[in-house]
Amino acid sequence: MAQEYLLLNIALWFGLYTIVALSLNIEYGYGGIPNFGRAFAVLMGALTAGGIVNRILMAYFGISGDIVVASGEVKTVANSVIQHNPLFGIGILLLALAIAAIIGAVSGALFILPSAKLKEDYLAITLLAISEVTFMVFYYNTDIIGGYYGVSLPDVLAWIPGEQRLLVFTIIILLIALLVFCFVERLLNTPYGRLLRAMRENEEVVKAYGKNIMVIRIKTVAVGSAIAAMAGVLYSYYSVNVIASSFSRVEWTFYPFLMLLLGGLANNRGVVLGVLAFVTARVLLSIYKYEITATLNLPFEAIWLEYIMFGLVMLLILLYRPEGILKEKPIMTEPIRKLKKF
Amino acid sequence: MNVIEGAVVYSNLLVLLAMGLTLTYITTAVPNFAQGSFAVFGSYAALTFLRLFNIHPYASLPAVFVLGGFLGLISYILVLKPLIKREASIVTLMIATLALDLILLGIMGAYSGYLTSVTHKSCAKFIFTYLDFSLFGVSAIFFFSSLVIALILFGLFLLLYKTKFGIALRASMENPALAEIMGVNVEYTRLFSWFLSGSLAAAAGCLLPFRQEIVPATGAIIIVSIFAASIVGGLGSINGALLGGYIIGVSESLVTYQLSTVLGAGVLVYSKVISLIVLIITLIFAPRGMTGVNWRKVKWLRNIFSST
Repeated sequence: MAQEYLLLNIALWFGLYTIVALSLNIEYGYGGIPNFGRAFAVLMGALTAGGIVNRILMAYFGISGDIVVASGEVKTVANSVIQHNPLFGIGILLLALAIAAIIGAVSGALFILPSAKLKEDYLAITLLAISEVTFMVFYYNTDIIGGYYGVSLPDVLAWIPGEQRLLVFTIIILLIALLVFCFVERLLNTPYGRLLRAMRENEEVVKAYGKNIMVIRIKTVAVGSAIAAMAGVLYSYYSVNVIASSFSRVEWTFYPFLMLLLGGLANNRGVVLGVLAFVTARVLLSIYKYEITATLNLPFEAIWLEYIMFGLVMLLILLYRPEGILKEKPIMTEPIRKLKKF
Repeated sequence: MNVIEGAVVYSNLLVLLAMGLTLTYITTAVPNFAQGSFAVFGSYAALTFLRLFNIHPYASLPAVFVLGGFLGLISYILVLKPLIKREASIVTLMIATLALDLILLGIMGAYSGYLTSVTHKSCAKFIFTYLDFSLFGVSAIFFFSSLVIALILFGLFLLLYKTKFGIALRASMENPALAEIMGVNVEYTRLFSWFLSGSLAAAAGCLLPFRQEIVPATGAIIIVSIFAASIVGGLGSINGALLGGYIIGVSESLVTYQLSTVLGAGVLVYSKVISLIVLIITLIFAPRGMTGVNWRKVKWLRNIFSST
């Protein structure tokens, strides 16, 4: 049982982080946009689940009042409906995913707007600043998604017996991650994908060919944020609550960057490998953290050790293997393939 | 502490942090995302002196200053220098400073746990305001932070404009390649800038607990204000950091205070939103900051002056 739980946990986080890391791969790996505010888009997913879909359900069931309290009532009512009508639960999840994609795209486009013309260092600073400040507002303001109190979410799988829930949820997340992977692979194997790589290598050349860098950046971050927001929705419905503090910069910006660099920039298969390696290490660490603190007799929590360790891993990757596990592959268009045959 | 005093103290500390950030940006061309954690390091160093040796933070400031300098130096030598040698891109260097920030956060968190177990007093969250006293009816931190700024500015002025090393330093900041041809060792200026950046941040961190509560993650929160101050002033100019620090510090404290009198005390937690708005306005209208603007070319301003 314990082993099964461990494997399912790894699979679940693997799915979630694959979605986020692939979205970042579009932006940073291919487009060269250093989005140090990835957490912002994931938070938008949490906003969709906790702030928007919850309010729609409140209106649907005729529940009024403060979101923190009302979400609890919504949860109870919605769960009893879902128990008899599984489609209602699936409907809520699909609705949330659709809204999150729209909100993610719109907010992502707005999010990069002030800095769409800037150089990469200013760009990174601005994106990080917007993301941090939004995080702070969502944390302190209890009217949006409950802030530090958090809000409850209905269990969209309430019709499934408790012990099977984790398994089914993991399968759903893995399926969506697979869809995202296929979508991203196809999206980046088009003229648009090649344009992105060209922009990363040399913006001036892209400009000389009459392309507008600002428009490409806005489109790219909109697509990336839409995908990342869906991960936020899935994570929220999995944990049946939303607390702003679980959408921190470390977990949803730094770790995705780590997985991306570990796996290999601009190589989606590599990124998936990177996610698997990272998630396995992290889940094992979180499960054995009490044993670690006890054996080493540490006077502090294991989370700090995790930060130090993953920070060091990042530095080592940057120093010794900046191209990651799998290197970026040359572009194989039809004419090049024909040429290679000869 | 009244509002104006608080605003000046906060601005003084922000100036120290922004100057450090700007210095390393000029010499190494990388915005240091760990600058906030350098400050938290200073806060914990001051706390250690207080709890273990019973030394008042005002007295331990010089020691904290030097310790912070070594932290800056070690960060450069261990993290950035090897990457620069391999000709890493700016984004790679930025990611490295993010990693450094996370490592420092982990170390500070672990150290706070360790210090708690040694002193049997909670160190995960602390404040120094109870240690402050009053001078001529005004809080001592007001005088002290202003004194620190004045001393550091005076010292920097002497160093940059009155010594040979200062001339070499300024030359390698303006044009590293040319300075190198003239026989200046650019590496020394980088080492020096990282030492100074770390020590300025640690000094600010030593005084910061007099104004706000410190936790290991404080660095992640103040980094927004530091960047805003540096960019508003102009990332490439030390004078700009001075200007930007006061603009951001005063607007963050006073604008939020004014808003809170209208909208209620709940607004006070959103002070960083003001910094972000000022930052975005600057990036849209004057991306090179206040010192990067050619004021003579601003037409409407010239019209105002010529008509009066």
